Amino acid sequence: MPLTPATLTRHELIGRPVRVVAASNPDLVGIAGEVVMETTRTLSVEGSTHDEPRVWQVPKGEATFEFTLTADGDTQVVTVEGEQLVARPARRTERTGDSKWR
Amino acid sequence: MPSEEQLAAERIERLRALAKAATSAGETDRARAYVRRARRVAERNRLSLPQDFKRFTCDRCDAYLKPGVNARFRTRDGHVVVTCDCGGHARYPY
Repeated sequence: MPLTPATLTRHELIGRPVRVVAASNPDLVGIAGEVVMETTRTLSVEGSTHDEPRVWQVPKGEATFEFTLTADGDTQVVTVEGEQLVARPARRTERTGDSKWR
Repeated sequence: MPSEEQLAAERIERLRALAKAATSAGETDRARAYVRRARRVAERNRLSLPQDFKRFTCDRCDAYLKPGVNARFRTRDGHVVVTCDCGGHARYPY
C-alpha cells in the first residue's frame, strides 16, 4: 500500500514538504518547509526565514495543509484539512476514512 | 487488515531512513524521536522490527547507531559487539 493521496493521512508525514495554505491564525499561512515532528495536535515544520533555519509548530486542527508528493518523477499536490490529521501519530495509521483529497 | 500492516511496515521503514539521515545531519535527538515513533508503530500493529532496524538502534537510549559517529562496532570471537555512546551494549553473532 504505497503512499498515494488517498493514504497520505494515514502514512508517515515526517520528512514531507508541506505548506500551510489556510489557518485560523493568519500568521501561520504561508509557512512552508519539511515536517520534522508530529504530536497529536501539531506538526512541526522546518523552513527558513531570511536564510535562518526555523521550526514552526503548527496546530493541525486549525490549518489546511498542502503536501507535495513525488512519485516516479511526477509531483502531486495534495490538500488536506488539518482536522483529519488530529490523532496520536502512531494511531493515525489505524484510523479508517481516508483523506478527502482534492 | 493486511493493507494496514503494510502501511505500518512502510512507516517503520521510512522512519528508519529518516532517523539515519537525521543522525548524519547531527540531529541525534530528532533521530531518537523517530526511532521511538517507529517502535511505537510496530508495537501497535504487532509487527516485528526489521533486522537492520534492530541492529542499528540502541535498546537502551533509542539512538540510531552510526558506526564511528555515535557507536563502536567491534568484532569479537564469533560475535559483533556494538557499544553506543550512552554505554549500552548489544552483541550479535556472525
